[in-house]
Amino acid sequence: MEKHEIAVLDIKVGVMGEVLGSTGYSYIDMYELPHASLDAYACLVINGSSDQEFLLKHKAVIENFLDQGKVVLFGGQLFRPWLPGGSDFIPRTIHSHLDYHITVAKEHPIFEGVDPSELTYKKGVAGFFARGHHPVPEGAEVLLTLPDGEPTLYIDRSSTKGTLMVSSGYNLLGYRDGDSTSLIGERVEAWIEQEYKQLQEGVPSR
Amino acid sequence: MRKIAALYSGLSYQNRAWNEPKYRKYIADIVYVPDMGPESLAGFDVVLLPSRLHTGLLMKLKPLLDSFAAQGGTVVVFWPNDAEQIVPNQNWEDRPTNFWWWLDKNAKSGIEQRNPGHDLYNYITLQDATWHYHGVFWPQGDVVPLVETEDGGAILYVDKSSTAGTWVVTSLDPEFHYGSYFMPATERFLDGFLPWLAEGEL
Repeated sequence: MEKHEIAVLDIKVGVMGEVLGSTGYSYIDMYELPHASLDAYACLVINGSSDQEFLLKHKAVIENFLDQGKVVLFGGQLFRPWLPGGSDFIPRTIHSHLDYHITVAKEHPIFEGVDPSELTYKKGVAGFFARGHHPVPEGAEVLLTLPDGEPTLYIDRSSTKGTLMVSSGYNLLGYRDGDSTSLIGERVEAWIEQEYKQLQEGVPSR
Repeated sequence: MRKIAALYSGLSYQNRAWNEPKYRKYIADIVYVPDMGPESLAGFDVVLLPSRLHTGLLMKLKPLLDSFAAQGGTVVVFWPNDAEQIVPNQNWEDRPTNFWWWLDKNAKSGIEQRNPGHDLYNYITLQDATWHYHGVFWPQGDVVPLVETEDGGAILYVDKSSTAGTWVVTSLDPEFHYGSYFMPATERFLDGFLPWLAEGEL
């Protein structure tokens, strides 16, 4: 899989922490989604600053994409039912910075050697990563959690014939720096490639 | 009370900020930008533009905002993408955002109050407008600055001279932070700013 087989729905505005700029990925103006041909792509990345009314109106496009054995990444706060298996975001009541603490709930190659406190804190300040969660669909694999076990990152292979990776913070492709977090972005790319390959092996050719 | 149209482009933080009951009561209608037509702003006194609007939507909005202001309406702009194109009679200067100024030992935000007797300051304090900013405006016309950087770049100002209407312009993005459950000063800002827009002296 080549980098350009990852398509980012372009929100046409600079938002910190989201996947933007010259990454080697393909970019599709999000309002062109219903007209764009998605055949060439293995993965669709949907930013948190996307128009969820529009995505709801065109949810079939995303379902169809997944049902071809492909991968969708979303990071943000859901409030409309457009994402297969998705539930509305539930904010965590914050009393102190401890409420933002991230735990790796399940060992996964993406987080091998990653210090979770480096996900929670930037320059000693907490809260950039996740401030709440989405209840997960049945069968989801939970990778990261908040202090009371609220899942902030899950993988869903049950809701469609494809795979979703859903974060209540940023999607993780943007992680390219830090002491222990610098490899996360490329590992997510490798994970997408592997996931796509496995899915395609299981999908009857059209 | 002025009739405020809060523009909305389906983003989660706009949804939360505009629908919060303590803010919603000051908003006459939430208007979804992709569905807007030439008459969508008819009957409103104030149009409130959130930050981070898709550039294609902004270009579609521009003639509507210009004609709204030409008819005497009030346009309120939170940290605009493509500021040069949207806000009249000013030069925008992008500045690298310092998210961390308050961690320094002799913490100083570099943000200063102007016109302390202005009615806005019956609703908010300078501290309520102090988090970080993404750039400054250099207005060309006769405007009322309310918050500036030390070197005189405008962070919040009112411009009644460049058009027949009123432009309330800021490089702050309170609805993004409040709506993303992030940064308490932004809530205090909105707590005062929206009642001021609805009822105060602009």
